Amino acid sequence: MPTTVREYTGSIRDTVKSFWHGLSITLSYLVRRPITVQYPDRTTLPVRDMLPPRYRGFLEVDASICTGCQACERACPISCIQISLEKDPQNPKQRVVTQFDIDEAKCMFCGLCVEPCPTGSIQHTREFEGSQADLRNLVIRWSDPLHPFPVYKVDKAAEYLPRVELGTLVRAKLAARAWDAPGPRFLPPEPPAAPAAPAAGDATPAKP
Amino acid sequence: MEKLILRRVDQNNEEMILNFGPQHPSTHGVINFIVQTDGEVITRAVPDVGYLHRSLEKIGESTGWHGYMPYTDRIDYVAAMFPNEGYATAVERLTGIEVPRRAQYLRAISGELCRIASHLISVGTMAMDIGAFTPMLHGVRERETINDLIEALCGARLTYNYHRIGGVAFDLPEGWRDRTLAFLDHFDRFLVEFDRLITFNEIYIRRLANVAVIPGPMAVDYGLVGPNLRGSGVDWDVRRDLPYGAYSDFEFSIPVGQGMFGTVGDSFDRYFCRVREMGESSKIVRQALEKLPDGEIMAPKVQRNLKVEAGEALSRVESARGEMAFYVVADGTNKAYRIRARTGSFTAMGIIEPLSRGLMVADLVALIASLDVVAPEIDR
Repeated sequence: MPTTVREYTGSIRDTVKSFWHGLSITLSYLVRRPITVQYPDRTTLPVRDMLPPRYRGFLEVDASICTGCQACERACPISCIQISLEKDPQNPKQRVVTQFDIDEAKCMFCGLCVEPCPTGSIQHTREFEGSQADLRNLVIRWSDPLHPFPVYKVDKAAEYLPRVELGTLVRAKLAARAWDAPGPRFLPPEPPAAPAAPAAGDATPAKP
Repeated sequence: MEKLILRRVDQNNEEMILNFGPQHPSTHGVINFIVQTDGEVITRAVPDVGYLHRSLEKIGESTGWHGYMPYTDRIDYVAAMFPNEGYATAVERLTGIEVPRRAQYLRAISGELCRIASHLISVGTMAMDIGAFTPMLHGVRERETINDLIEALCGARLTYNYHRIGGVAFDLPEGWRDRTLAFLDHFDRFLVEFDRLITFNEIYIRRLANVAVIPGPMAVDYGLVGPNLRGSGVDWDVRRDLPYGAYSDFEFSIPVGQGMFGTVGDSFDRYFCRVREMGESSKIVRQALEKLPDGEIMAPKVQRNLKVEAGEALSRVESARGEMAFYVVADGTNKAYRIRARTGSFTAMGIIEPLSRGLMVADLVALIASLDVVAPEIDR
């Protein structure tokens, strides 16, 4: 606390001085170019093209080079990938992937599933806009259960793997579904089975 | 008349219990403070933590060794590189995996950038809690560049998941080094501007100097770590005193509180330590980019389904919020038997009750802000 008039006026002077110091910096930003950009329609490019290539967006699976090894399913810490394999009824030597579901709502985009993939079939894309009114619509099915895809056999002589352009598949999947599409219907839960007849004297305590 | 005076005296002695939080902008997350006040003066403030408990340590017992890495991001989401590094170091010590030199350098680079980003948030929100809004925006603007750099490096802006057991996930992308050096040149100029903007502001100094003084012995007794400890004049930094990774190769100084405008260990010292540490981190990143050796970024032959022999290991890393320790116990299976994280924010909550006696309500905000607590790190 100031005790003399001189200290009091000195404090006021110091305050005004440091006010001016700070505000001169703030004022200098008035003539500089702003660094903020209006999202999303004032950006020079679509936002997904401005992101770095390593960006971890929605997962995409290229079914044409999936070997069905289930390494991604095992690597996922939260089990948001579900894969089922069956034998092709026409050709018993050929295995087919009947189910390849990725729950993008559950996925935490850690990138651990991408690393063990032997062919680079599962990849993160730069897609990130996928809002849905129903959360269950974010489960993306990469295999149609009625038309399962056969597993890919790696051609060791091939120099590169024929992968479609990253992002096109997941973009098509997201575009095919309206944001307010109703979620998939599930069968109602089965009524609980009638409890087995309780052993005498077990359920009802014996009354005195 | 006499009756009236008596009533006034009674009113003066009337103590009130207030809930400060859990949803309050200046508690830095979901923390509740039960504040017992006598008018404007606090007689007691008891922190009530646990609102953000997600049982992250327990989850570690059900995911595999590799699968726990994304969860460590969530321990401290403002500076997620450090829990990553702590956990990876602990498991490497347990399994005896040797980390390549380049990976250690990349860990240091990403960690120091992350420390700058975390301290920018810390000093910005501290200024905002005190009542100055502009420094927060300036800090967040600089942090945005760091976020872009880290996004280009590892693909995420907040939950990085960059470290792996035995190395790091990605090497530097093309052109990243030049972008980082350009940013650091800009950042050193920014720090001078930031000092002019808020650090040496007369009002700000008077608001923080001599507020909530923590003497050095008390800080040690209560287990404070990081800038909170160094602000009290205790010269201790894990990076220098127990070097891990690549830190023994770099030259940097440890800023220690000197009581520039008041007593050693006041809120201003803790704040000023963070501002100085950002400059030191910038130096470390420059040195690391200069000396960066060539080579692998992952240790060879780390099993995908890692099985660890029974044993235990402890790792200590210097996080942005101070020393962070990871203690892992293995029982020979592919899952951890126990994972324990020791974080700086939790111990910092303990000192609030003894310090709050006699503080003003507005100074409690300065104390909480100067301790730089992050709610998910308290509860885990």
